[in-house]
Amino acid sequence: MEDRLREAVAQSRADYTEARWEAVTRSRVAFQRDQLMALESGEEAGGIVRSLVRGAWGIAVFTDPEELPRKVEEATELARTAAGHVADPITLAPVEPVEARWHGEVRRDFRGVPLEEKRRLAEGYNKLLLEHSPLIASTSVRYTDSWRTVIYANSEGTYVEQGIPDVTLMVAAMARKNGDIQQGFESLGYAAGFEAVLGKEEQALAAAQRAVDLLSAKPVQGGTYTVILNPDLAGVFIHEAFGHICEADFLLRNEPMRRVMQVGTRFGVEFLHVVDDGYRARERGNAPYDDEGVPRRKTYLIRDGILSGLMHSRATAHKMKAEPTGNARAVSWEHEPIVRMRNTYIEPGEASFEEMLHGIERGLYACSAFGGQTMFEQFTFSAAWGHEIVNGKVGPMVRDVVLTGNVFHTLQNIEMIGRDFKLEGSSGGCGKGGQWPLPTTTGAPHVRVRNVTVGGR
Amino acid sequence: MDILRKARQKAEAAELYEERREGVAVVFHGGEIESVRSVAVRGRALRVIAAGRLGFSSTAGGSDEALVESALLAASHGDRASFRFLGEGEGQRPSVPVFDPAAGAIAVEDLIAWGEDAVRRIGEEFPDLVVNVSLEGGTVDVSVRTTEGMERTERRSYLSLGIEVEQVKTGDIWSVHAARRVRRASDLDREALLAHLVQELRWGRKLAPPPTGAPPVLFLPTGTPVLLLPLMVGFSGLSVFLGTSPLQGRLGETAFDERLSLVDDGTLPFAPRSRSFDDEGVPTGKLPLIENGVISNFYYDLRAAALAGTGATGNGIKGGPLGGGGFRVPPGPAPRNVLLAPGEGTVDDLIREMGDGLIVADVLGLGQGNIQSGAFSNNVGVGFAVKGGRVVGRVKNTMIAGNAYDVLKDGVQAIGGEPEWTFGTLHVPPLLTTGVSVVAQ
Repeated sequence: MEDRLREAVAQSRADYTEARWEAVTRSRVAFQRDQLMALESGEEAGGIVRSLVRGAWGIAVFTDPEELPRKVEEATELARTAAGHVADPITLAPVEPVEARWHGEVRRDFRGVPLEEKRRLAEGYNKLLLEHSPLIASTSVRYTDSWRTVIYANSEGTYVEQGIPDVTLMVAAMARKNGDIQQGFESLGYAAGFEAVLGKEEQALAAAQRAVDLLSAKPVQGGTYTVILNPDLAGVFIHEAFGHICEADFLLRNEPMRRVMQVGTRFGVEFLHVVDDGYRARERGNAPYDDEGVPRRKTYLIRDGILSGLMHSRATAHKMKAEPTGNARAVSWEHEPIVRMRNTYIEPGEASFEEMLHGIERGLYACSAFGGQTMFEQFTFSAAWGHEIVNGKVGPMVRDVVLTGNVFHTLQNIEMIGRDFKLEGSSGGCGKGGQWPLPTTTGAPHVRVRNVTVGGR
Repeated sequence: MDILRKARQKAEAAELYEERREGVAVVFHGGEIESVRSVAVRGRALRVIAAGRLGFSSTAGGSDEALVESALLAASHGDRASFRFLGEGEGQRPSVPVFDPAAGAIAVEDLIAWGEDAVRRIGEEFPDLVVNVSLEGGTVDVSVRTTEGMERTERRSYLSLGIEVEQVKTGDIWSVHAARRVRRASDLDREALLAHLVQELRWGRKLAPPPTGAPPVLFLPTGTPVLLLPLMVGFSGLSVFLGTSPLQGRLGETAFDERLSLVDDGTLPFAPRSRSFDDEGVPTGKLPLIENGVISNFYYDLRAAALAGTGATGNGIKGGPLGGGGFRVPPGPAPRNVLLAPGEGTVDDLIREMGDGLIVADVLGLGQGNIQSGAFSNNVGVGFAVKGGRVVGRVKNTMIAGNAYDVLKDGVQAIGGEPEWTFGTLHVPPLLTTGVSVVAQ
């Protein structure tokens, strides 16, 4: 396929052409309560061609490798059609052509692990959950692995081949009492081997216990609080609320938003540093090249509280007079690369947890996340659980904790950043523009924020 | 050799699902065309029952041999199959019209022209806003065959238009969006979609303080998934069987307001999720879920039906209740088109009726949180304050919270008379409710 790919892009008559072919090996095991809901392994392959003609993209997605040369012509033709309607053409920032081959290193390659062993692993965690308490009504345990072998060539002479491992584990327990249903879960994901999901019994049991505990937790009272976010939730916050608006494709054709996101603008307290980092071994955002053949970077989005960089593709980098940052990622062969995060985190600060609790008369300790969503400056995320903070002490558990606010205000309202740190990939992934689930990680220390709106009854 | 025959050599039974998607898509960003795309994707999934055990595998581009081998391998470590695949002539019903050549063979030039039209029309009244448009059209050829002699094939067309309009001012950024997915080109009412957007943009020109406490809340059709998404999961026969649905053991109970009737219908001609048969070959039908407030049915795929000791309802759809996954995932119980019976009155009537209150058109964080229990707590992404029966402006930094099951039982004040398609699968009128708490910063 390598030769075919090189030849196809070389013969293109478009201004620029790239072709990507992916072969994916994957397996999946899923239990719900006592039912084996999925047990499968399989392979798939598919490709995508993207051509630029006079500043407009034509894209062709296909599964039959024989069609590659024809798809190059088709993408060129579609680009030509679009080009007739373009007033502000796309230009790509220059990058050095590269030749590279890289395959992720793992301790125990899951491709060699028998399906039966994967089943036993998931079944073991499931059993732990089910037997934990009579209040556990149901469970959901899911193991997945995939190895994407991605080959990429473009008409500038770049050729990159990458083997990207991904392994995930999700365990969830549903506890039920008097018609009330509560959930506890743990969700893990790594660019690593089978070893990464072994030995997670403690986390599984903690999830089950949390589901049980939530049955007797009170719903949080809505209002405005000083909140301490635990590292999981602070990581989701920085990804959802801030990371997404630093993805420059969002600004490419949005001039007013570009003015808001001017590099050099103060966005937060001076001890706030936010990073998107391609160099985190064994983590889900880790691969040397993006899907435009651009090498990864470590990009400071916020340094000393000031916006210091954005994440770019080649097109956005040209437009904003920046350098491509290796963030043009595609979730699969069905999609073109768009600007995405890799491993995004708040760097650790200096406060201890005790120092953070100090002086909070009535606050909230919000932990882990069911999920989050943003609409520009507005964000919302659901904590998996929370605790009241009363007179500087962590108090009773509360549930249905949903935090919301304006990201720019919230960054200014950060009061303290903890000296601990945790980077975590979930079993799901990031969604954007119909591309889901993209493997990413989020990370942070504990973070204390004042004036956070919490929904509730 | 035919793949089913190959599977049959080592398995008692097999079922092959095949789909071929062909279509085009156009994307506009900031009022300008960005890309045009074509898709030609063939995916296959094979289920086998070997030595009584169920196995599954899927592929795109892979060989027949590898697909059969993977499915057999899965079966060798699998559990006993609780159901069997469909046989010849089982449940044949008249086919549902789901293919329109005008949608299936839509020209790229038409999509571009529609996109440009939307950009121009919105720009005329709101020159400072950023307009993004996505359009697509094409066909999906689906076939489901079993070694037991069942064979069903169908060509389905799709056409969709989504428009998002953003306003970016320092300290006040917001956006509205509207989307519609149809199977028949003549059902794509672009005027209605634009009118909808323009209405919300006009309402949103001014900011207004949100009412707080427990004011009446009017969910426009685009806001109703807050209340209906928990039901889409809760009525799944699998959730009921597993005990994660609060509706377990409550068939026949009046669990909702008596004016509420909800139907899951896969047979509505050209409706967005209509189909003659589900992804297991079971004919779709029309399934009442709530009749005058009474829980009347749950929906099932073959497996959940067998586990629960009941019949499949033609709801075995790849991706489950919330969709996604395509040919790669095995079928699971999922609703088709969910229709809430309309009441009376226009949106304006309902706004007058509510006096002072909140309109919810869109939320952030839909489906996050403890969805099984019905609890919701969402940021109001697009919402409007109503005073004295008139919309006075757009609200910001506002959250709503409540429990969908409670609201739909005791909090239904009025059901509007004008249902609209939303969320790709729902056909619902606006709902005026009480019992939703509103918190603002």
